[in-house]
Amino acid sequence: MSLQSAVRSPYAAVLIVAALWLVCVPLFSIPPRYLPPLPAVIADGVSVWPDLAAGFWRTLVETVLGFLAGSLLGITFGIAFAASKTLERAFFPIFVALQTVPVIAFGAIVVIWFGNTILAKVVIALYLAFFPVAVNTLRGLEQADPQRIALMKSFGASRLTLFRKLLLPTAAPNILIGMKLAVALSLAGAVVGEWFGDTVGLGVMLLQALYFELIPRVWVLIIACGALGTLLYGALALLERRFVWWRPD
Amino acid sequence: MADLAQAQAGATMPGQPYMELVNVWKRFGEGDKQTVAVRNVDLAIQPGEFVTLIGPSGCGKSTLFNMIAGLLPSDSDGSILVKGKAQQDGALLGKVSFMPQRDLLFPWRTVLDNATLALEVEGMPKRLARQKAEALFPEFGLKGFEQHYPHQLSGGMRQRVALMRTFLFERDLILLDEPFGALDALTRSMMQRWLLDIWEKHRRTVLFITHDIDEAIFLGDKVVVMTARPGTIKCQETITLPRPRDVSVVTTPEFMEVKKKLLAVVEEESLKTFASATMRP
Amino acid sequence: MASGLNALRSALPVAAALLALLLLWQFGTTALDVPAYILPKPAEILATALGRIGFFGGELYVTLVEAVGGFLIGSVLGILLAVAMILLPVLEVMLMPLAMVINAVPSIAFVPLVLLWFGLGMSSKIAIGALAVVFVVLLNLLSGLKRPEAESINLLRSFGASRLGILWRLQLPAGMPALVTGLRVGLARSTIAVIVAEMMGAYSGIGQVIYQATAQVDSLTVWAAVFVASLGSLALYGVLVALDRKLVWWR
Ligand SMILES: Nc1ncnc2c1ncn2[C@@H]1O[C@H](COP(=O)(O)OP(=O)(O)O)[C@@H](O)[C@H]1O
Ligand SMILES: [Mg+2]
Repeated sequence: MSLQSAVRSPYAAVLIVAALWLVCVPLFSIPPRYLPPLPAVIADGVSVWPDLAAGFWRTLVETVLGFLAGSLLGITFGIAFAASKTLERAFFPIFVALQTVPVIAFGAIVVIWFGNTILAKVVIALYLAFFPVAVNTLRGLEQADPQRIALMKSFGASRLTLFRKLLLPTAAPNILIGMKLAVALSLAGAVVGEWFGDTVGLGVMLLQALYFELIPRVWVLIIACGALGTLLYGALALLERRFVWWRPD
Repeated sequence: MADLAQAQAGATMPGQPYMELVNVWKRFGEGDKQTVAVRNVDLAIQPGEFVTLIGPSGCGKSTLFNMIAGLLPSDSDGSILVKGKAQQDGALLGKVSFMPQRDLLFPWRTVLDNATLALEVEGMPKRLARQKAEALFPEFGLKGFEQHYPHQLSGGMRQRVALMRTFLFERDLILLDEPFGALDALTRSMMQRWLLDIWEKHRRTVLFITHDIDEAIFLGDKVVVMTARPGTIKCQETITLPRPRDVSVVTTPEFMEVKKKLLAVVEEESLKTFASATMRP
Repeated sequence: MASGLNALRSALPVAAALLALLLLWQFGTTALDVPAYILPKPAEILATALGRIGFFGGELYVTLVEAVGGFLIGSVLGILLAVAMILLPVLEVMLMPLAMVINAVPSIAFVPLVLLWFGLGMSSKIAIGALAVVFVVLLNLLSGLKRPEAESINLLRSFGASRLGILWRLQLPAGMPALVTGLRVGLARSTIAVIVAEMMGAYSGIGQVIYQATAQVDSLTVWAAVFVASLGSLALYGVLVALDRKLVWWR
């Protein structure tokens, strides 16, 4: 049991996978076309360090800005839907449908609108983050137990108090689920947005690596994207532990 | 399986208890953090007897049940004997008809399929199991609800489904862990009379946990009182009230006398639990 | 009869809202004289899509085959892995670190690798689609299989149920809602991954159409392709919702 929980810690997981990588590549003589040896990948990463750091930072900024704006907008819309049945009945199904749109395709359109600015990537990341947060906020707000609502009303709670003291805490776990889905999508959106033309960013480097068939570089970028995703996800998990410490029933 | 159990039941020697607990212990954890849940329990249950077990909450009743059902190994100090034979760990799995404290109905199964769960696990074909269960529906007051899902039922009905599931799993010993604990007083007293009817008809050995003294006396041939944690048996009281019993028995002087006696004992133990809980830092 | 009436009643506000949005779009762009390269009118988009319906239909077909193929392979793999891990906890200890690390990387980052390994044809898209699904399904189903409390498992044990019996009668049904969530997230991810892979390198498919049209600043074709792709993934989503009703039939 304790071994199982130790293995489940992310640090252990990274170490184990790194060790496996180190051992298995020479052991099974895996061709570098599929998996180059870990030292080669690290060496390549070091050789492009300044670009890599700049790209990481740029993609991070795009993702975070888009994610935050998208989450805020998503929560606002979720609340609006929860507040107005008419609004929900008219627009929510459209939202669910829009959520299934292969949204990255809009990347092309957004780049036409905003050009090759950072704004274009932010907007794509925003668009992707928006739907899961809106949908999960609404679902969370709807989960509030009618009996508890009645109880609050019997205390004479106003709509605002009801919302702050009961509805929002009830919805918080769901909102965070939506945000966790959203942060991964934002990152994907930022990376893909960079493909439509830019000079800095992990996405740009990924595209270059593909064109020049630099396999170790591709692995460097996969690791960088994974680190970026994990960083953001970890920040959200911390937020969750801070604000949603109770267990939903 | 049922036939085999019957044959074994037939092999019980006259006067030999169906089940005996000899110096049964259960401790959880190690060292400082060790909790003794059950301590030195000795108990004999005769075939066909209805034994009720009463004690303050947290005293180890459910733990004792889990050991009797074979779900939890008892500590090596003592042993659990069935018809004089000691049972190894896990040997009792599938041999005792066990109803846990919560109904634990599966939300994805209809009432009918929840009732047949144990039979299906035994390997009985679904058709046969359903036929067998359907015959019991009127008796359990569930006629017409065969195709409903658990969330559509009231608390009393859910409990009856869980009871039916337990009864359909025909074993010599039935363990019922506070089956009526969550019901309102009216429903509970109806369910008690109904359970006695069913028991008179099927005559199986029953061990019944409750925290309600009236219930323990009304149902039991014998009331066993457990102490506060670590739980052990404080006293046993044979109930000689005539059967079949009905509601009026509750107001007879005999009933009152036993109740007075047990009340004093149980009160003392409950106070101990309460005191130790409030004194904790 | 009544259910038909109810369906109509709930469809009415949606249809009204949709119509209002489309009209606003149509007449807004006309009134403000927005050029087509910035925002074409919905009527123009529809006309473009319908005018070249054979072309768009063919490309959508390729994309759907890739997405569905990848989704199916990935889901089956994920389900098998989850079941194997629940039956053999050693397997979970061994494979979970790898699954967690790979799952932390956005699947689109693997697109270049997959293209280099499998070429520009359909197999690379199917591979990336499967990769995008497999871990979401695995992690969701595994947590779902672990959901039943010890008490329920004990109940079945007291009936004499075996490990497989417990899996079949309790853990699998209890894990269905989590599986459906995993499938839903996975489907969205695999469609996106497939389209992205098509954008990066492919002979055909909606993603390739979008990429080329963007390069030629042919915004009408881009919009029409997005429209067609949306119809396609909406259809897939509909299938999944139906599947949800089948797999989680109780409540
Ligand atoms: N698995 C376990 N690990 C540690 N302590 C336990 C465990 N199961 C029960 N206990 C402890 O044993 C005591 C008796 O529990 P239980 O048998 O459920 O009481 P009852 O059913 O009489 O209310 C409680 O104090 C409980 O905290
Ligand atoms: Mg208990």
